[in-house]
Amino acid sequence: MNNSPISQIQFSGITKSFGKRKGKKLIINDLDITLTGGECTLLTGKNGSGKSTLLRILSGLIKPDSATINTGLQSLSWKQARKLLRKQVMYLYQEPYMFDGSVRRNLLYAVSGANAKQRINRALQWADLEHRAETEAKCLSGGEKQRVALAQAWLKQPLVLLLDEPTSNMDDYSRHITEDLLLSFKKSGTALLVASHDPNHFYRVTDNNLSLIHGELINKPIELNTDLPNNVSPFPNKLGQH
Amino acid sequence: MESLDATIWKAITLLFSGDKELWNIIGISFQISTSAILLALLPAVLLGFVLAYAHFPGRRFLISVFNTLLAVPAVVVGLTLYILLSRQGPLGEWKLLFTQTAMILGQITLSFPILVAMSHSAFQSAEIRAWDTARTLAGSPIRSFFIIMREVRFGLLSALLAAYGRIIAEVGASMMLGGNILHYTRNIPTAIALETSKGDFAQGIALGIILVSMAFLLTITLQTIQGRGALAHE
Repeated sequence: MNNSPISQIQFSGITKSFGKRKGKKLIINDLDITLTGGECTLLTGKNGSGKSTLLRILSGLIKPDSATINTGLQSLSWKQARKLLRKQVMYLYQEPYMFDGSVRRNLLYAVSGANAKQRINRALQWADLEHRAETEAKCLSGGEKQRVALAQAWLKQPLVLLLDEPTSNMDDYSRHITEDLLLSFKKSGTALLVASHDPNHFYRVTDNNLSLIHGELINKPIELNTDLPNNVSPFPNKLGQH
Repeated sequence: MESLDATIWKAITLLFSGDKELWNIIGISFQISTSAILLALLPAVLLGFVLAYAHFPGRRFLISVFNTLLAVPAVVVGLTLYILLSRQGPLGEWKLLFTQTAMILGQITLSFPILVAMSHSAFQSAEIRAWDTARTLAGSPIRSFFIIMREVRFGLLSALLAAYGRIIAEVGASMMLGGNILHYTRNIPTAIALETSKGDFAQGIALGIILVSMAFLLTITLQTIQGRGALAHE
């Protein structure tokens, strides 16, 4: 469970463009978004619609042209907010980067302080990666890399978790495991924002559905894909709580 | 003049006889070059890192400057520092000319661009995702820096060995700044130059064997370490 007194981060008036003068292209136009603990928002949009750019702004990795950030406790300038975002928001790439070394070593980078070994063992168990603990992380499949990244997030316990196309190129089994892990984050009070070009994914996890069109957010009702068998995972849920 | 066979035999005998003068020259050489590389290493790697990941005006220009400095001959570095350190020069008051410190300064100047350019390439070879991930996971920039350093350690080691190989064998700057003073600033390359000019090839060859052996050892070490790194990724 995240121990931060902040349970919500409000972003207002986010604008971001790339290029200079004549070649300037507006990617995000005066966009507002609120991320609330324990809620999962699905962000859909076509390829190149600016989903990744928005996620990188929300995680403090790139600077917007303008934005206001409010935590419910105070209003922050971008400089102040960036520090908070770096600490409280975690951004997971479509294919998470794995450092040289074993899965255990990759998890070690996310831990500081006492009981590192026990916490890493618990994270391995949580993500069902115990059998992969000593495997070279760069050699894992896409789904396993995503689970390592989620285990790192589980160790860091951020207030907000941003995921960029987390289940693209995954088979159904890996997708269900990833969704189960995301449900576990939700239950522990983490705010989730999942970017996906396919609105049919994540229906078990999402509370809101936003669509990014021409740099603006549009609220969309959650669409259930009736072709899928049911809303229950066919795989056993091994997940524990934080 | 002795035959080549006889000279080589004499050089080998000299090496294994424990000749004090010869081993003193070898000791001075390694002491000066190791001091220079240790002093240059951290700031150069930090600069390489900044040039790879930070975006600021003049960054591309700086990268070009360091790439250009790679091609500057040792004798030009020696000449520049000689002018600065000579009695009439702006740093003449420091009285450093013909000292080991001057030689160390010369070798730092020579090794710095190699370390910067090669560590910059090493850091650039790691994706930007690596740095972003390290920043997200580690919490502090210093811890993130060490995570990335570990990630590009083979590239950094190549930089270290290339720079060390360059300065241990350079003669121009050492001769001009050290003055080739026996038991003080005479190192392997300057001793080889002097003994050869005197016609004493045996000592020159003995010292040459040391330099070639060291170059061979550095190459083998690098290949072994890089091989292990490549195997780990398979």
